[in-house]
Amino acid sequence: MSKELIRLQDLTMEFDGERILDSINLYINDHEFLTLLGPSGCGKTTTLRIIGGFLNPTSGTVIFDGQTINDVPPYKRQINTVFQRYALFPHLNVFDNIAFGLRVAKLPKEEVNERVNRMLEVVSLRGYGHRHINSLSGGQQQRVAIARALVNEPKVLLLDEPLGALDLRLRKDMQIELKRIQQAMGITFVYVTHDQEEALSMSDTVVVMDKGRIQQIGRPEDIYNEPKNAFVADFIGESNILDGVMLSDYKVRFFGRTFQCVDKGFAPNESVDVVIRPEDIDIVAPEEGHLVGVVTSVTFKGLNYDIIVEFKGFKWLIQTTDFHGEGSTIGIRLNPEDIHIMHKSEYSGMFGDYSSYSAEYDELTEDAEDEEE
Amino acid sequence: MKKTNRILTILMFIFLYIPMVVLIVASFNTGKDITKFEGFTLHQYAELFRDEDLLRLLGNSVLIALLSTGISVAFGTVAAVGIHSLKPKMRKVVMSLTNIPMTNPDIVTGVSLSLLFVFVGSGLLGQRESLNFWTLLIAHVTFGLPYVILNVMPKLQQMDGSLTDAAMDLGCTPVQAFFKVILYEILPGIVSGGIMTFTMSLDDFVISYFVTGSDFVTLPVEIYTYTKKPIQNKVYAMFTLLFLLIFVLMVVMNLLQIRAGRKRETMRSVSRGRMIFRRVIAGAVAVCLLVGCCALIFSNKQEKITLNVKNWGMNMADGSDGTLDIVKAFEEKYPHIEVNMSYYESNEALYSQLNNGGITVDVIIPSDYMIDRMIQSNMLLELNFDNIENFRYVDEQFKNPAYDPENKYSVPYTWGTLGILYNTKYVDEADLTGWELLWNEKYAGKILMIDNSRDAFGIAQYLLGYSINTTDKTELDACAQKLAEQKPLVQQYVMDQIYTIMENEEAWIAPYYAGDCMLMMEENEDLAFYLPQEQGFNLFTDAMCIPTCCKEKEAAELFINFLTDPEISGANMDYICYASPISAAREHMEAYLAESEIVYPSEDVLEKGTAYAYLSEEITRYVEGLYQSATKLNTFG
Repeated sequence: MSKELIRLQDLTMEFDGERILDSINLYINDHEFLTLLGPSGCGKTTTLRIIGGFLNPTSGTVIFDGQTINDVPPYKRQINTVFQRYALFPHLNVFDNIAFGLRVAKLPKEEVNERVNRMLEVVSLRGYGHRHINSLSGGQQQRVAIARALVNEPKVLLLDEPLGALDLRLRKDMQIELKRIQQAMGITFVYVTHDQEEALSMSDTVVVMDKGRIQQIGRPEDIYNEPKNAFVADFIGESNILDGVMLSDYKVRFFGRTFQCVDKGFAPNESVDVVIRPEDIDIVAPEEGHLVGVVTSVTFKGLNYDIIVEFKGFKWLIQTTDFHGEGSTIGIRLNPEDIHIMHKSEYSGMFGDYSSYSAEYDELTEDAEDEEE
Repeated sequence: MKKTNRILTILMFIFLYIPMVVLIVASFNTGKDITKFEGFTLHQYAELFRDEDLLRLLGNSVLIALLSTGISVAFGTVAAVGIHSLKPKMRKVVMSLTNIPMTNPDIVTGVSLSLLFVFVGSGLLGQRESLNFWTLLIAHVTFGLPYVILNVMPKLQQMDGSLTDAAMDLGCTPVQAFFKVILYEILPGIVSGGIMTFTMSLDDFVISYFVTGSDFVTLPVEIYTYTKKPIQNKVYAMFTLLFLLIFVLMVVMNLLQIRAGRKRETMRSVSRGRMIFRRVIAGAVAVCLLVGCCALIFSNKQEKITLNVKNWGMNMADGSDGTLDIVKAFEEKYPHIEVNMSYYESNEALYSQLNNGGITVDVIIPSDYMIDRMIQSNMLLELNFDNIENFRYVDEQFKNPAYDPENKYSVPYTWGTLGILYNTKYVDEADLTGWELLWNEKYAGKILMIDNSRDAFGIAQYLLGYSINTTDKTELDACAQKLAEQKPLVQQYVMDQIYTIMENEEAWIAPYYAGDCMLMMEENEDLAFYLPQEQGFNLFTDAMCIPTCCKEKEAAELFINFLTDPEISGANMDYICYASPISAAREHMEAYLAESEIVYPSEDVLEKGTAYAYLSEEITRYVEGLYQSATKLNTFG
């Protein structure tokens, strides 16, 4: 693997006595695409701003390429940022926006022209140089912002929810675009988002944060498949989280039944959180099921149906491509690899129960998640 | 509904713009009477551009406005950025603190600044002249700053805060970030704040009045002290030009903004256009400052002696209407001296200006009783008559007067009488029986009364047969009673407004000074002058003195000497229509004046005249109090 570029050590940040970051320890490798993922107020933007030099941590150190850079102002760091609302300069056109950093550095005119034009190609905006910023669409502005940062050939590019203002379709396109640019330029990206799908599809490494603390660091697959606690399990995708007891290695008991699983290394009879992803559950005829329940609600989602099934007073979310009407009785089967066991944590009991589920639930939370300042 | 709205809008515009229309029309009027449009002329404009004094004053106003705008904009913008970076709570506190000076009454600001400047200048630095160009500039910056801050703050708040971060992210130091990014975002605020400051400064009177020194006077201050005669038509011409200039400026600004806005919408290359627009503005600001500084350095560079003369308005020939320009003639004769004229409205106003201190005045021309008062208050310097050779031409009867018995402090300038101006068309000759004409009920509502306590009491005293210098309070009370009786008959209490009212025949009878009456009689031939000889009348003398705040005593004496030259004095009287205390001057006056019974009453008439003497401070105040309650306070009672 490539060498380490940035290291955050015991980073703590307080505003007016309120703790925003709580001893963050993190290293970022060269050429890595690292995503800070979490709900609003989790401290991810604060972390990014500390790396960019716009904030000074209350305590802890920021090490860049082996040097402590706590006291280095932003304009002396080899880091550039793509801001949440792009922060393009309205008084300059596309070309001048992109050339801004190069001109501040007083590069010769020919070199500026050459590099800006090359960058316009990279972000697919050739011929847009003379356009005014306000005449561009959101996606185009986004690409100008990226070009403006990348043209300076920084070692690290910080991106603060860069796609937050775009519509879904454009966001998907830009995700691919960003990944392509990152690979083409070979630059380290530190990406902040609250969109777990975005994080999983683009990143080499995902850092899940909540309440100013890192909850889990890992590759996207690991984060998804092996969430460390109920918060991560719930935040990354949908999860049914149940109380269970680990009888011994590979044996877990919940809902009065013992299931085979693939997890081990827990203390005998340890209380655990059991995670079952809604898409992993197989629906079978009632008589063939490990468990039998009644469908209480059905929502058509396009690719699949989200159905809520009640088992002994506990409601599960199951995603299925087959239609099961409200009130019908179904059976389910759980394979050992569908069951994931986690230690109990402060988040236990807070997530994974769909008793109050409604179709709008997702959208409501997403709207409420405006970025923290 | 729509129709009423439209009509209301039109009415509003008429309401807003009609005064300007009247002014513009007046500026093209051939006649002097603003109520009648007699014909179209550009004469006033030609006059305006020939009047160096007026242009210099305008130049002064513009210079102060440009410099104060430049400084306010620079400091205000920096301050706004500073305030913006404060925490919200603190920001609110500071903003309300900066807003208070704006809502503060100008007069309070003016007086407090004046006190401060005099305190610092005279008290701490020991300067003779603590009010000068710099204090005026500081004062204008003081009231300009809040406007700039107020206009810039919203732009800073509207600005995306991450723009600064972005600029720093791209390698700008905070200072570079300001000049390369923030400045462009807040420029509209800076420009509108600057324009506000400029216009406020250009026409400020109240604050300027208190902090202006004698070395540098702005147009509004000067115009205000110009009240001896109604504002001249060339001033209308200047105001018209000023109004049009600002009007055009605003229209151009708006058009540019609209164009910039439209260009942006049509997705064309606007940044170039806007860059040019901004460069033009930046250039304009730079040029303003540069021109201002140059003018300043230039004006300060000349090594001339400046002689500050304080005079009544319209009380020295200035070259208009074919008269001699006395100041110019003096400056030609003594090229190393430059005369700077300023004006006062009454003896009492002059007294308080000198008493307040902080100004330099080299020559003043107060009236007899005021000279007495000033001598007693130690406000005058003894003259060196070796430098005033022409004093020998002064008639013996004017030497060693009662107000300056040893003739150490003054050289007489003019003398005259106070009589009654009346309109022969309306006033029956048979009614000219004495001062009681002013109490004649036949003419109720057509009588004007002179608006100063000394002359008003004088008239009552002549009527009642008391001495005009009485200190007997029962006699004074009786005079006040007499004046109160007159009040229902009086149309208005006036000083300089008398010109227009009498010339336009809005009133028929008014007591006033003979010289001014002569001027009005030239304008309206139905006017005539009546001196109630039998009861007695005031014979006054205005004389030149040097106050203690004088800096150039020798030059002042040169100037007094120059004015006492019979030829100069005669030419001067042609303009001001008063009598000269120098008999030899009469030969140099125009015949109609020299032979006028009004200007030069015969010996036996003059014997009936009496002069005011200075009464004690206590009596002066007592009379003033009586006068106010007799003529003003009981308006509604």
